[in-house]
Amino acid sequence: MGQLFESVVMAVKAIFQNKTRAFLTMLGIIIGILSVSLMGTAISGIDQVFEKSIESMGQDVLYVEKFPWFMMNDDWWEYRNRPNIEEEYAQQILDRSSTIAFASPSSSRRADVKYGTQAVEAVEINGTTWQEAFITSVKLESGRFFSELEDRYGTRVAVIGYDIKKNLFPDEDPLGNYIMINGNKFRVIGVIAEQGKFLGLMSMDNIVTVPLKAMKSVFGRLRRISISVRPKEGYTVDQAKEELTFIMRGLRKLKPREADNFAINQQEAFRQQFSNIRFAISAVGLGITALSLIVGGIGIMNIMFVSVRERTKEIGIRKAVGAKKSIILFQFLSEAIIISLIGGIIGILITVALVGVVQKFFVAQLSFSLVLISLSVAVLTGIISGIVPANQAARLNPIDAIRYE
Amino acid sequence: MALLELKKVTKVYQIGTVAVHALRGIDLTVEKNEYLSVMGPSGSGKSTLMNVIGCLDTPTSGTYILDGKTVHNDEKKAAENSTNGMLSDDDLAYVRNQKIGFVFQTFNLLPRITALHNVELPLIYAGFHKKERIEMAKEALRKVNLIDRMHHQPNELSGGQRQRVAIARALVNNPSIILADEPTGNLDSKTSQEIMQLLDELQAAGNTIVLVTHETDIANHAHRVVHFLDGLIASDEQTLKGKG
Repeated sequence: MGQLFESVVMAVKAIFQNKTRAFLTMLGIIIGILSVSLMGTAISGIDQVFEKSIESMGQDVLYVEKFPWFMMNDDWWEYRNRPNIEEEYAQQILDRSSTIAFASPSSSRRADVKYGTQAVEAVEINGTTWQEAFITSVKLESGRFFSELEDRYGTRVAVIGYDIKKNLFPDEDPLGNYIMINGNKFRVIGVIAEQGKFLGLMSMDNIVTVPLKAMKSVFGRLRRISISVRPKEGYTVDQAKEELTFIMRGLRKLKPREADNFAINQQEAFRQQFSNIRFAISAVGLGITALSLIVGGIGIMNIMFVSVRERTKEIGIRKAVGAKKSIILFQFLSEAIIISLIGGIIGILITVALVGVVQKFFVAQLSFSLVLISLSVAVLTGIISGIVPANQAARLNPIDAIRYE
Repeated sequence: MALLELKKVTKVYQIGTVAVHALRGIDLTVEKNEYLSVMGPSGSGKSTLMNVIGCLDTPTSGTYILDGKTVHNDEKKAAENSTNGMLSDDDLAYVRNQKIGFVFQTFNLLPRITALHNVELPLIYAGFHKKERIEMAKEALRKVNLIDRMHHQPNELSGGQRQRVAIARALVNNPSIILADEPTGNLDSKTSQEIMQLLDELQAAGNTIVLVTHETDIANHAHRVVHFLDGLIASDEQTLKGKG
């Protein structure tokens, strides 16, 4: 054990005798570890944000819409020419279906919202029906959602998002007060609990939900209606989706050969898209990591060969006074590992600093296991790139080595 | 029993397609506390002999027993058809560490580490603890009168001082034998005398010394001189000191 410890000490000394060279050698490893830890951080951050965001969409909700959420560019005109989704579909779907519990048409647009002298610009005004409360998993902080009756009569009531409450009613209870939407008075009856930002980017709290009929009376014709649908208890989303497709094709009077001219969207599409993004990030990250680690590893190997050559005489002397092969091997191998490990630690430190900055804009977290993985990768790179030169050193013939000048 | 015993030792180097017979059957016995010089022109095989005795190299054939340990034994090898007659690289390293103290013409100290650390080196590979190591190394440096320079690096020492550090390193492990290969070859005559005096003292204190040199006056410090020629011992005689 003592011998091994001494070998490590000697290895460290050797590195510090050539600081600049060692640092330059480390660069590849630093970049490699930086990219592997940044990638891991980004993915775990995105994962977290994604799960949180997608939860607010409702676990098993289907959306009947004109456009699919993720489309190929060249299909746009085909989608564009489809007939619009009609508000009436919601009731027709409910009438014909045996698997669907709720179907609610909604439409949204942006408008300014005022209260007294305060105003919030470009708020998402979302017109929908009472059923929406049973479809999405949105929770209210206070008050209530509008009733079936208010819905039917188009009563001008509003359920406001957390941001609206914060901006318009900083010190008072918004319930019962009147806000102005596009110059029309709406009574606040509920406040939606804070939801955060969708994928960490767009606020989901800058919203006002009103009855669809009230929205029509204020804005006139509705654009781009989306019908959100929730299956009955005991039916899966897939079963509901199958029936919904059948019903929609019936409503659209499509012949068997004709393609759907509507889209049924669901969370799954996000998941799909998300896993593509995740895969892309991983692939690019892994590519950069692998490349820089290979380059870094070759750099270490090269410098170790130089080091072995430079210290041939030293190796000869050590062998003459009794160093065994394994100890020489260990000494040079630990030199390679330490160079790589220091590179890895520097990479991690840079990552920590970068994550600190990124955290201000986006969820990012450097996990302990990721640090361990990164450092293990660094050590492994050191071993792989150090083993051949170290073995060369260990196998030197002491007579030749000691005469080497 | 003799400290060192070589029987019919040969060494053949293969250089390309040419076989070079460096040793052609050497019989040599060295007793404990003997002071032996090996002389001979270059190419006579004396360096090869030193390498074999120092366990840096193994004979092609023959028997070599050092301090009761069989380093190489042809007959045994043939009889048992195994490698028992020969030591492995690691065994040789162990023998070098425990039984041999080398003193080289070019000192062969490690640069950039102190004299003390250089002397410690064999002890590290012998597995001593740091505290013990430092004590033993200091003791060895005291013997060569260099304790006040122990924190100097080799490049801060004169040639004679460097050679004394090397001698301290050779001594530190209490080896069975000190092998000095042209120890004064890189030193001026005054310093050479000092180094030879030191070796004389060490021998007088009970150490066994084998000295390779081509200078007659250096060789005459020993009690016995062996002359090498063409891989064979040409003469083996007592010096005046040996007789006296």
